[in-house]
Amino acid sequence: MNSKYSEAVEKGRKILESSSCDYAEIRLSSSVGTGISLSGENVDSFTIGESVAGSVRVLKNGSWGFATFNDISILERFFAGAVNSASIVSPVEKSVIARGTPVSGEYKTSYGRNFMDVTPDEKYTLLKKYNDILRGAESVQTTRAGYRDVNTNYTFMNSEGSFLSYDKLYCGISLASIAKRGSVIQPFHESISGFGGFEIVEGKDHLAEAVVKTAVDMLDAEPVPGGNYDIIVDPKLCGVFIHEAFGHMSEADFVYENPRMKDVMVLGREFGSPMLNVYDDGTMPGAGYIPFDDEGIAPRKTSLIKDGLLSGRLHSRETAGRMNEDVTGNGRAISVMKQPIVRMTNTYIENGDSTREEIFSSMDDGLYCVDVIGGQTNLEMFTFTAAYGYEVKNGKPGKMYRDIVLSGNVFNTLKNISMIGNDREMFGGLGGCGKGGQSPLPVSFGGPHMKINDILIGGKK
Amino acid sequence: MRELIEKVIPKGSGWYDAVYVSGKSTPVSFKNNRLYSLSESENSGFGVRINKDSRTGFSYTNELNNIADTAKRALAMCSFGDEENFTLPENTTVSFEPYDDAISKFNVSDEIKSAEKMIEDIKSVYPSISVDLGISSSTGTVRLINSRGVDVSYRESYYGLSVSCSYIMSDGTRIETWESRSELKPVDCSALKDVILGKIERALTIEKIDSGLYPVIFPPQAFGRLIGFIASGFSGVSVWKGVSPVAGKQGEKIFSEFFTMTDNPYLEGSPFNVPFDGEGVTVAKNFLIRNGVVETFINDLKYAERLGLSPTGNASRGYSSLPSPSFHGIAVEPGEKSFEEMISGIDRGIVAEQFIGLGQSNTITGDFSANMDLAYLVEKGKIKGRVKDCMISGNINELMKGEFTLSKDVERRGSSLLPYALFPAVNITA
Repeated sequence: MNSKYSEAVEKGRKILESSSCDYAEIRLSSSVGTGISLSGENVDSFTIGESVAGSVRVLKNGSWGFATFNDISILERFFAGAVNSASIVSPVEKSVIARGTPVSGEYKTSYGRNFMDVTPDEKYTLLKKYNDILRGAESVQTTRAGYRDVNTNYTFMNSEGSFLSYDKLYCGISLASIAKRGSVIQPFHESISGFGGFEIVEGKDHLAEAVVKTAVDMLDAEPVPGGNYDIIVDPKLCGVFIHEAFGHMSEADFVYENPRMKDVMVLGREFGSPMLNVYDDGTMPGAGYIPFDDEGIAPRKTSLIKDGLLSGRLHSRETAGRMNEDVTGNGRAISVMKQPIVRMTNTYIENGDSTREEIFSSMDDGLYCVDVIGGQTNLEMFTFTAAYGYEVKNGKPGKMYRDIVLSGNVFNTLKNISMIGNDREMFGGLGGCGKGGQSPLPVSFGGPHMKINDILIGGKK
Repeated sequence: MRELIEKVIPKGSGWYDAVYVSGKSTPVSFKNNRLYSLSESENSGFGVRINKDSRTGFSYTNELNNIADTAKRALAMCSFGDEENFTLPENTTVSFEPYDDAISKFNVSDEIKSAEKMIEDIKSVYPSISVDLGISSSTGTVRLINSRGVDVSYRESYYGLSVSCSYIMSDGTRIETWESRSELKPVDCSALKDVILGKIERALTIEKIDSGLYPVIFPPQAFGRLIGFIASGFSGVSVWKGVSPVAGKQGEKIFSEFFTMTDNPYLEGSPFNVPFDGEGVTVAKNFLIRNGVVETFINDLKYAERLGLSPTGNASRGYSSLPSPSFHGIAVEPGEKSFEEMISGIDRGIVAEQFIGLGQSNTITGDFSANMDLAYLVEKGKIKGRVKDCMISGNINELMKGEFTLSKDVERRGSSLLPYALFPAVNITA
């Protein structure tokens, strides 16, 4: 950390001590990052860059003022600007927030091997090795191998007297092979990321090998015929399913000022069968881990669905204050340049009682849906897309299919979960979740193998 | 800037170019029908690309005291770069600026008043509706210098307004819809209210449909998302990598003769126009597809060299990244019918406005499969109500080869200018 940054931190402390706002917070960050992108036999880009950023958020007379900047040496000017913005209008309905107790702490990501000590040459060599594996089949037309790391010094301080710092190390890789035969062009991609050191990305030859094999296999797969199916989802797709089908619904900013949503999301409402338990847990190691959220609140494990009934929701200071519920540490922003909003962290379906074998042997005719391309929700209907899948007949996986876009309805589909496995895994890649123009936010998601009845899949009959 | 870079890379030992961007903006946000926050944002950054022994290195910073160090870092990265032997431009001119002086008339209090009026008007029809609204005004400067003596800059101005509504009916059915406009200067956007109200009104009754093939109209915004899958195949990057369905097909007629698509940096009123691209190459209107024939692939200097084509002035570049080819403004040539005429000819069909999960299929080849977030059933030429909990799927490349009708009305949405498109048979799964 350079002296300019330390000076800004000290200046921020003094400003907050003498602030007369209802609430004020200052966030500062200084980052250095490396990005490498290889494609086929080319180096698309190899970049090392740095950035400094700051923001001020103040609540005054029930109105929020926010300022973002990268010249942190004139922090006081932006603080005054935010106060001024908050003072321009006097809103009829005022924002209120949940108060926190002052907390202090210095956090640092633990690592096996700090990537800041790894030479650019070694990063390149490792990625090139993966890229060579990705290119290792005749039908591979091109590849995309990406590496990204960023070391951020992050400081959070507020007018309640909290002072938190976080020396954060985040890195990951993204590996894709694009296979081609005739006019069929078939990409497949996997990504891993997390908080830690270079060990996160080392020794992933098997991942690259699986990517190239799957891309090539998919050339022979047919698009799945459209219609209604009973499906088995693998742990990764299970995670995306719960993130889209329910996770976003539990974000209280969709609820707190909307009377009809409050009725829909009343605690105790039945959302699924008694075997369904869903959690969000920011204390868990994984891409969604946070030592504190971007409003200075400690994360926790929040039960969202307990035994099939709605049991909790995710809050920022503001939604908690409005709904008179406890804060949960879910006020998150993708960078200090954005305002915190309610976001998930590590979200998952808890293990049930069934083994994977029991789930498969219960299926006479259905589809096994594997791996993830993405998902999206409008809080009533949602989609989640499997990378590929297999027909299941009499408990046995058979013919491979591709292009499996699944669609559901929040109020029906969770109730159609008929079996929950006991083999939960968690996943998080270099991408993340998008909401309110803030994307990608690192999150993880997961669950066990799971059977869902009567799911709609798009496509020709 | 130039002196600092040239201390690191002495003249004659290679080439360099650098961008410096700075901007200010004042976003105002309304959430759940009320004013939520006022913001101000001030940011700048610097990125430098250096080519030494035919290899390129790059680095960036937003710490403007660190320009020399950043240039040193870029120089140190050169050994990792691919071989590149193109020449930078030496005569870059600024024929216009995507800037309108009227941006200075942006007045936060007035904007808040008109936003509150719009929210009140919407609420007067649907009292339980929740409206989020964002207004933003920004100005900025882009400066580009290079080792051949170019030192040019232009100003930018931007005014944007977006409204999004969520209306939950008593049975829990949810109608989510949004509209947005982006302009060079503040404009009266109060008409958006009527567009939004119209969309909601048409969605109040739910109609059932069965799986099958239906005539489908995609309004400009929806059509734009599908057309984007085709456009991406016209990027020099996809062509070079061999993952473009149109690679090697220049001069071939592979789409319907009624399909003409251009990339146009001169779309009227668009704040996304630029006088020169991220490498200083003058921009131009290019025909990607003319009457169904594949014509031009867009390029930056690197991909133009690799493909042996002329640069098209499509290098897009922020301060923190290397240039890469991207479109200025996709425009599809309109047809002859009005939207009303199109719809009145439909006996039973669909208008598909919004999707969930579009773009998660194999879009390289034009495939799409998505939930219909907001779509209407048309019967005997009239919109009858909403269809939901169903999916639409197909392949946009195939659709643009066959029969279709484009409207004479066009609308600019973001950087694209597009008509309504009617296809006679699209697959719906219900």
